Amino acid sequence: MKKTKFSAFLSTTVVCYLFWLLLTGQLVALIQPNNPFSAQVLIAGAIVSVLTALFSARFFVHEKAFWFFNPIKLILLAVYCLIIFMWELIKANVSMFCYVFGLKKTNPGIVKVETDLESEYAQSMLANSITLTPGTITMDIAESKGKTYYYIHWIDVSTQDMKEAGDSIKGTMEKWIRRIWR
Amino acid sequence: MMDYVIYAFIAVSLIFALTGVVGMLRFKDSYSRMQASTCISTLGVLGVIIGAIIYSVAELSDISMAVKLGVLGLFYIVTSPISGHAIAKAAYRRGVRPEKKMKCDKYGEDLEDDN
Repeated sequence: MKKTKFSAFLSTTVVCYLFWLLLTGQLVALIQPNNPFSAQVLIAGAIVSVLTALFSARFFVHEKAFWFFNPIKLILLAVYCLIIFMWELIKANVSMFCYVFGLKKTNPGIVKVETDLESEYAQSMLANSITLTPGTITMDIAESKGKTYYYIHWIDVSTQDMKEAGDSIKGTMEKWIRRIWR
Repeated sequence: MMDYVIYAFIAVSLIFALTGVVGMLRFKDSYSRMQASTCISTLGVLGVIIGAIIYSVAELSDISMAVKLGVLGLFYIVTSPISGHAIAKAAYRRGVRPEKKMKCDKYGEDLEDDN
């Protein structure tokens, strides 16, 4: 079993505690003073997040532990999630509407696509983005000879060429994810 | 005025949820059905959540509820594709194949090469 690094433990604790504060609505006390902090909730959250981080930090953090606290990258992440990814999502949903109601013919198949992202986080983020857009599901990730391949089930296979298929599935998402995780 | 914005978001999400349901019934093989159901879990859910956020800020002026809904949407978006991967991969390895032959099947070819 791998040992938990202290930096990984610390960053997991901070993220857990942040989500605890958001979910219990404690941060609202900063905006609405008539609604004060409750010491009980704050202390319970601290204990729970320390325990959670002790058990789970070694599964979450394999690379740079403090990536999450870099403001420029957080802004890039927000731009990616709220604008770039949303736009891809809306386009894909509309085209799915056309397939379902018979305006376009489906033509399903599994294609293989190469990616040159190196970080594990970036690879899983791209795979999740591809799965979330209707019309494509990542089925597996394989590594061979230092290159990473995705096997993607695609509802309308227009080309079987690895590069063209990759361009039309990944779109602008890969460029943005590389920018975020550099 | 704000009412109509909320109605618009919820109506859009209902349209895409309907798309997902009809797709699940109409498509012929299990993988295409999974593709259609992704429609429900993306814009179908996000539309309702955005509508609810606008409602809780504009009508109820309850910011903590809006924050909770935002966190909920974030968790939904992060966790739902993982079950998608797992189901698709498990179905393929278990031997589920569409009746009509797929146009190309690179995954099956590479799995055979490994064995």
